[in-house]
Amino acid sequence: MSARPDSLVLVALLAPAAVFVLLAVVAPLRRSGRLAALISIAGALTALGAAILAWRNLGEDIDVFRHVWAWLPQHEGVLATVGVLADTYSVKMLVLVSLVATLVQVYSLGYLSDEPPAALGRYYMYQSLFAFSMMGLVLAPNFLQLFICWELVGLCSYLLIGFWYRKASAARAAVKAFWTTKAGDVGLLIGIVLLWRMTGTFDFAELEVWAGSQQAGIAGISLIAFCLYLGAAGKSAQFPLHIWLPDAMEGPTPVSALIHAATMVTAGVYLLTRTAFLFELAPDVMTLVAWVGAGTALMAAILACAQDDIKRVLAYSTVSQLGYKMAAIGAGFANAGFLHLLTHGVFKALLFLGAGAVIHAVHTNDITRMGRLAKSMPQTAVVFIIGTLSLAGVPLFAGFLSKEEILGAVLAGGLTVPFVMLAVAAFLTAFYMFRVVFLTFFGTADAGPKGPAYEEPVHARGHHPHDAPAVMTIPLWILALLSMAIGILFMFHHEEPQFESPVWLTPAAVGVGLAGIGLAWLTFQRRSIDGDRLASAMGPLRTAAHAGFWIDDAFLFVYRSVLLVFSRTIGWIDRYVVDGIVNVMSAWTVMGGGRLRRMQTGRVQDYVFGVAVGVVALLIWLGGVK
Amino acid sequence: MGLHAYLFLAAVVFSIGLFGVITRRNTIGILLGVELMLNAVNINLVAFSRFHGQTAGMILTVFAIAITVAEVALGLALVILLFRTRRTAIADQIDWLKG
Amino acid sequence: MTLEVFAFWAFAVVLVGSALAVVLSKNLFHSVLWLALALTGTAGVFLLLDAEFLAAVQILLYAGGVVTVVVFAIVVTERLVGTRLSQTNRHVVRGAVFAGIVLTLIITWIRRAPHPVRPDLGDADVTRAIGSTLLTQHVLAFELLAVLLLVAMIGASYYARPEE
Repeated sequence: MSARPDSLVLVALLAPAAVFVLLAVVAPLRRSGRLAALISIAGALTALGAAILAWRNLGEDIDVFRHVWAWLPQHEGVLATVGVLADTYSVKMLVLVSLVATLVQVYSLGYLSDEPPAALGRYYMYQSLFAFSMMGLVLAPNFLQLFICWELVGLCSYLLIGFWYRKASAARAAVKAFWTTKAGDVGLLIGIVLLWRMTGTFDFAELEVWAGSQQAGIAGISLIAFCLYLGAAGKSAQFPLHIWLPDAMEGPTPVSALIHAATMVTAGVYLLTRTAFLFELAPDVMTLVAWVGAGTALMAAILACAQDDIKRVLAYSTVSQLGYKMAAIGAGFANAGFLHLLTHGVFKALLFLGAGAVIHAVHTNDITRMGRLAKSMPQTAVVFIIGTLSLAGVPLFAGFLSKEEILGAVLAGGLTVPFVMLAVAAFLTAFYMFRVVFLTFFGTADAGPKGPAYEEPVHARGHHPHDAPAVMTIPLWILALLSMAIGILFMFHHEEPQFESPVWLTPAAVGVGLAGIGLAWLTFQRRSIDGDRLASAMGPLRTAAHAGFWIDDAFLFVYRSVLLVFSRTIGWIDRYVVDGIVNVMSAWTVMGGGRLRRMQTGRVQDYVFGVAVGVVALLIWLGGVK
Repeated sequence: MGLHAYLFLAAVVFSIGLFGVITRRNTIGILLGVELMLNAVNINLVAFSRFHGQTAGMILTVFAIAITVAEVALGLALVILLFRTRRTAIADQIDWLKG
Repeated sequence: MTLEVFAFWAFAVVLVGSALAVVLSKNLFHSVLWLALALTGTAGVFLLLDAEFLAAVQILLYAGGVVTVVVFAIVVTERLVGTRLSQTNRHVVRGAVFAGIVLTLIITWIRRAPHPVRPDLGDADVTRAIGSTLLTQHVLAFELLAVLLLVAMIGASYYARPEE
């Protein structure tokens, strides 16, 4: 087929939208459960097919296709348009989104098989809405549509994290996610408005032309870039707005795979990639982005070492990898960050779905209670290990090249300290991921540290975990094979990066990863190093890690001391000053009325007297006039 | 006697009647005060009519007297009705329209 | 001192005196009688003003009719209440002050008015003039007055009807 890419992406965009509208309006269809699921999967498959076709049809010379409709008029021309923009970034992103969405939806059929049909239908309705919103964000040709889809994506995240809304912790987590990203979204909105005030347009193509004609460091552009970055920092869980992502694991695991690994959190990275031409005009903001990114990567890696919940490990890992992408963008090489976005999306989704299979089998998230699952769940073990190797950056697997490119980019951008931070983070990444692998799939849990809440490991209790049903394992294998295919493909055929890397970079990157794996093996498999002593050797860092670096507490403190105090003051003013004024007015009126009513005695003579007084007054007044 | 004399006379009678209306406690007493005031007005009318050489004032006085008679009759009927239903003669006690 | 002036002052004294008696008398019945005297005084004033017809009407209707009706009303209500209706005044000071103020103001106004001269009527018959004007130019009002009296009579008899 040689259809135009913009028409194809439009089909990809509208298919899940149609499914959403159908499921939202036709309630009996939604409540039927499995039928709704199949319709939703069909929509996602349509989107995937259209996306792949669009990618194929994206030409060599003309690689930007736009199709927009005028939307908000203004007296000269159009204020805003709505439509699709198909270029290499958006089309590749589209393929990732639709692929992961389809696989996750298929997987959910198995994972959520014991949900009541009405809830299942609701879940798939939200999934379709999310797919539509994310694709709308990716395909947005201007800031306005991007922002609208941005907010919609946030809404879907809230709906899906809080899918089991009767569980209090899930509801709280959903609200926390919404509020934290909202804090960033305010910045994004301000940035968009300021930018419009400076340039008069929302459109990306026009802004790119405008940016090309500007010098770096023009007045106000740093503020705008910072505001836009705030929005990205919220969605992409940069420090200090990362606090929502670990808690968001309250949602079903497929949701975590889709939204909090591969797609929604990458919206921030995508935004910065899209608007890189703006950020190039504000080099100080770029430096900030890189530093915060590297710091987030390191901090999250440290925190991941202290988690026992398998999903929380993966959550912190996602935060860490997002930091990597931001660092690359901050160093000035957005393509490196974008490449890692694509590869990370694949293998992180794989890891989450694999973790979901484990959880589904043993009914617990706690890795200290697992062990020897490789024997009982061989397929899951294999795919999980493939994902872990990709994340650790081992050659022949997907993450290797993209991670190395990020390290090279940061170095080439002249940011040495961030580079060191990223390298340490790479070491820790390999370490904590293989800790999970060894504790979950190998060894015996009863040979490890026993905490006060230790219970019998699951496999020893007579419970027999087994591999997940086909509807869950097939997506796993697809992702695993894709991971390996990308890894192998990149070994032999990849685009040259835009910078020069030193020769020692590749061996250093590989070595750091292997060192992490080795340390994990020694500590958790062969038990030659006591994990407890290793942890206590870290000293205060260990306490800090277990407390999440007290960031949540800091937010709570600010909330209590500033926000609550302020709102209570305002409430007091409202009750006593504002209401007080009104109440005083009404009290005076009532009092005045009470006094005045004594004039009405009911006696005729008093009224006659009143008339007489009036006549006297009239006579005096008229006498004066004369 | 000039016009002013008659007018002064009428004014005096009028204010005496006003005093009666304001101070008397019995309703019939109030009606008597009203009678005095109306009389004073009639004197005024006739005096003006005479001093301008026209009959218009006197004709108005005829009408005024007739209407006053009707008014007195109705007023007293109301007073009787009031006494029958409420058993009181004192104007102070008729205050059921108190606000 | 001419007869006219003397008559004026005599009638004036009678009128004002009996008016004062009407409003100050303690006994309601006495008040009514004093009112009759005051109305007669007014009739005298009318005579001085060459309005003989009006004087006659005054005595017939007012001093005769109205006073009679009021007396009847007193008798009826006295019987209802059972005790002799006595009169006391309240707020005397207030009433006196205000009546005084009104009097002062009206007198002030009157004094500013011009002093016309009493025209000479010659042989003009005032009664005839009143009669002819009443029944030609004001005949409509005259007839309506009759209707008014009828309505008043019906209303009064309805209000004061015996209880069923």
